[in-house]
Amino acid sequence: MSFLLNCPNCGSRSVNDYRYGGEVTARPSPGDSEETWSAYFYVRKNVAGLQREWWYHKYGCRRWFQAERNTLNNEVSATFWPGEGPGQTLGNGS
Amino acid sequence: MAERRLPPHPSQIIDRSKPISFEYEGRRIPGFKGDTVASAMYASGIDIFGRSFKYHRPRGLLCVSGRCPNCMMNVDGTPNVRACACAAEDVERATGQNAWPSVENDALSALQHFDRLMPVGFYYKTLVRPKAAWHLAEPVIRRVAGLGTVDTSRVPDTEYEHVNAYTDVAVIGGGPAGMSAALAAAGAGARVALIDEGESLGGHLRYETLPHMVPDALMRFGEGQGGGGGEDYAALGYQMARYLAELVEASGRIRVYAGASAMALYQGNMITVHQGEKIVKLRADQVVVATGAQESPPVFPNNDLPGVLLSSGALRLVNLYGVSPGNRGVIFTNCDDGLRAAAQLLNAGVGAHIVVDSRMRHTCPFAEDFRERNVTLLQGWKVVKAEGGKRLKSVLLESTREGAQRSVDCDFLCLAPNPEPVTALLSQADTKLTYDQVLGAMVPSQLPDSVYAAGDVTGFQDVEVHLLQGRIAGLKAASASGAGGCDDNLEDLASQLTLAESVHRGELSSSPFRSTVGKRFGRAKRFVCLCEDVTEKDVRQAIDEGFADVQSLKRYSTVSMGPCQGKMCHKSYTYLISEATGLGLDAVGGTTPRPPFHPTPLGAIAGPGHMPFRMTPIHHAHLRAGGKMAEVGQWKRPHSYGDPIDEIEAVRTRVGIIDVSTLGKLDVVGKDAPALLDRVYTHYFSNLGVGRIRYGVICSDSGIIMDDGTVTRLADDHYYVTTGTGNIDLVEEWFRWWTVGTEMCAYVANVTPGFGAVNVAGPKARETLQKLTEVDLSRDKFRYMRSARGEVAGVPALFLRVGFVGEAGWELHFPAEYGEHVWESIMEAGAEFGIAPFGVEAQRVLRLEKKHLIPGQDTDVMSNPLESDLEWAVKFEKEDFIGREALKQVLERGYRNRMVGFVMENGAVPEDGTPVLEHGWPVGKVTSSRFSPSIGKGFGLAWVPDRLAAEGQLLEIRAPGGMAWARVRHAPVYDPEGVHLRE
Repeated sequence: MSFLLNCPNCGSRSVNDYRYGGEVTARPSPGDSEETWSAYFYVRKNVAGLQREWWYHKYGCRRWFQAERNTLNNEVSATFWPGEGPGQTLGNGS
Repeated sequence: MAERRLPPHPSQIIDRSKPISFEYEGRRIPGFKGDTVASAMYASGIDIFGRSFKYHRPRGLLCVSGRCPNCMMNVDGTPNVRACACAAEDVERATGQNAWPSVENDALSALQHFDRLMPVGFYYKTLVRPKAAWHLAEPVIRRVAGLGTVDTSRVPDTEYEHVNAYTDVAVIGGGPAGMSAALAAAGAGARVALIDEGESLGGHLRYETLPHMVPDALMRFGEGQGGGGGEDYAALGYQMARYLAELVEASGRIRVYAGASAMALYQGNMITVHQGEKIVKLRADQVVVATGAQESPPVFPNNDLPGVLLSSGALRLVNLYGVSPGNRGVIFTNCDDGLRAAAQLLNAGVGAHIVVDSRMRHTCPFAEDFRERNVTLLQGWKVVKAEGGKRLKSVLLESTREGAQRSVDCDFLCLAPNPEPVTALLSQADTKLTYDQVLGAMVPSQLPDSVYAAGDVTGFQDVEVHLLQGRIAGLKAASASGAGGCDDNLEDLASQLTLAESVHRGELSSSPFRSTVGKRFGRAKRFVCLCEDVTEKDVRQAIDEGFADVQSLKRYSTVSMGPCQGKMCHKSYTYLISEATGLGLDAVGGTTPRPPFHPTPLGAIAGPGHMPFRMTPIHHAHLRAGGKMAEVGQWKRPHSYGDPIDEIEAVRTRVGIIDVSTLGKLDVVGKDAPALLDRVYTHYFSNLGVGRIRYGVICSDSGIIMDDGTVTRLADDHYYVTTGTGNIDLVEEWFRWWTVGTEMCAYVANVTPGFGAVNVAGPKARETLQKLTEVDLSRDKFRYMRSARGEVAGVPALFLRVGFVGEAGWELHFPAEYGEHVWESIMEAGAEFGIAPFGVEAQRVLRLEKKHLIPGQDTDVMSNPLESDLEWAVKFEKEDFIGREALKQVLERGYRNRMVGFVMENGAVPEDGTPVLEHGWPVGKVTSSRFSPSIGKGFGLAWVPDRLAAEGQLLEIRAPGGMAWARVRHAPVYDPEGVHLRE
């Protein structure tokens, strides 16, 4: 991986400056079924195509943001703060 | 031996006034500054430079450009060095490899007569049964086949480094196209990086001594770019190269990476450049690929004999090093470039008597030249066989029309096939390649954004076309990078290029060398892949066996899998597949060229041999105290200062001090700080009283232990959190993650480097510290798990009364600047009580005696706090916390494994990580094990199945000296009631 990623705070940086946080998933509520929770723990969509995912600017502002990336060619179409992207879900249960 | 040096010529790069020499196989090889190891050796009459991989056939110079595998040798201890690309100046000694007793006389060359026993797909067909056959044969095969050996006892004096760089426009290849692109881009205002393999810029022009004539405007850059009169610029190739190189040097905006190879072109235009002991990770906004073209040898019997070399190799020898390939040569070509090469060799005084052109009735531009020099030009003929023992003696020619044959004596054969574009980097960047019938090559037909191609790599072999392509690519790249405006003349240039390309296309004619000599020439081997000794027969047989596509043919026959990675054979084997299957070359395609483009030392890729490490603010005091430093995560920490057992005794009976500055430290502030900590820890922190401390465990959402530590409440909205030494980054990320987008008012600051910390513990800890502080440390005023702020030795500090090692003690956190002062002051104050510093090893034993686990040491990615004996720290009463649902599932399914303490029954002390057995089967694992001075026995922590976790259960553990028994013991072996702790 050697693509560039645009931190909403710091700007375009090498992907090595960031930590990948996985695909955005929605955290269930405490009352939800065991199946729902298990799926949240272990099941990922692993899409071949456009994916919304978490990134952390480890060697920069140390902030979490989200990106929309094509997993087939690593083209990042957008990066944004959680809650600001199109059709946004926060994903960390908040 | 014939003198092979030619008279001096201005194109040559050797300095005859500076003789050098080196040793090769017991003899002194003379040469000049500027020579390569290979050019000096060849000049001294050496023909055999190596022995082939499998058959040990003699191999001589072929490409003279560092591409083919023929001249690999050991140079000053480094194996597999291509002698033809290794400057001879500082070399002391070169030795041959893969030969016995010597490269010149290799007894193992007898192997070539047993080729029937080594058919293609050898490993899949032979030595399969009985199984033992392979194990007997393998060491023998490994010894007789292969490349150089690595001397593992040698410590190389190389100092590798990695460098990051950025540029607007990167140009790969410093030939006319590359230099033109670089100059145009720089002229338009872009910062340019120019990467070139050669000792100096110029590409193939460096070794060309025929004139080129191009429009004058194409040789001018910058001011008045592209404009100007219609006069022509005319110069000999090497003069043109030097002129352009001077312009590059004078430009001021072009950074040249000379003698460097672009190993790879990755996503985001990341180019890795290998230059000596350096890897440059070059990020470019735009990339111009001008990697040129290369020749690969046609296939005919004995095409690997020393004396057979490529025309570009011959020209390098002659025009750069002033070394003649021989006195009576044959030149074999199928294109005008080959005729140019022949003319240049003759001009330089190289003895050649026949030029063979496989094309019929082609107008030869040098016909007059050849006639004058009594050189016979045979059109419509081809070379069908090379003959000779250790060196070429004659070639067999055949007329393509009548089939007439004639044998010609010669001492070298120069092969000048139509060169093949070097498209490896373009392919890595996802460029589409298409076979161009006229150009006779796979050429880039669809380039990705921000990548441009110019020069020979496009299949055109005309310098005017190259200069135009380069200029256009450079201008476009500069403009696209945003660094420079596009030239107004771009449209003019484009139409000029279209015209020049079509003129060049019209002039082109080459006919591919057909490799259909078949078996008419007996069993003489026809090599396709020189690296792996794969012959045409092997390839055909593999195709017959069904491996008729490039990918499976490669894997089955090992063709293209050697050191040159297909540079020399790709054209031939794809052609053979095309011929056998009737598919076009487009459909046959090629294997994927993967990085690195050139063989690169692993050391260069691995990078510098050192890792940065962190020192605590007390580091130098430890060194003065004789601390034996160990690497713990990123930190250097004292393992011990002598005997850990003595240090343990000091802590248990007197007082000890340990540097715990490496603890991760987080400041968490805000009105929602309590809510945040309740959320990420399994325990409550919102109900923690101000000034109190509580132990906490952090789990992932799937209930796995991530970290543990203490949390101190400094104020209603202010907490001070410590984490494990290596976990601070993880915990900081984690805290931030759970506040993202929540509008939670909680701020997290990593203050690890800002604070130094020491833990002073033992029966005399109170007396020691009380001497240095006003804070009342008395038993009733400063109780266990309480905190206070105050001064110690005049330094503001946070006092935390915690008990990791199981004695009454305080963890003091203070501004890092005062590290040594605090340490020395406490040491001095404690002297009268017999204070001793203790290291990580003593601490490990002390905490183990208290059964305190260390996440990562005693837990792994399967460990949850319930089964880790930390149930008391998990508060299911909370509506939600990270990991709650997963831990509830653990409760429901029941415990499978448990972490238990154990004490050995005999004197054995198992090692960390040894298995716990049940009926001889491993069912668990010891995670920490030491000798306990308190009970005088081996003891530790282990993971065992739930059924083996009852108090007093006997466990069978593998220990040094055999199996041993241990008993489960739930209570800590030292002070189970925590009396000392609270003292």
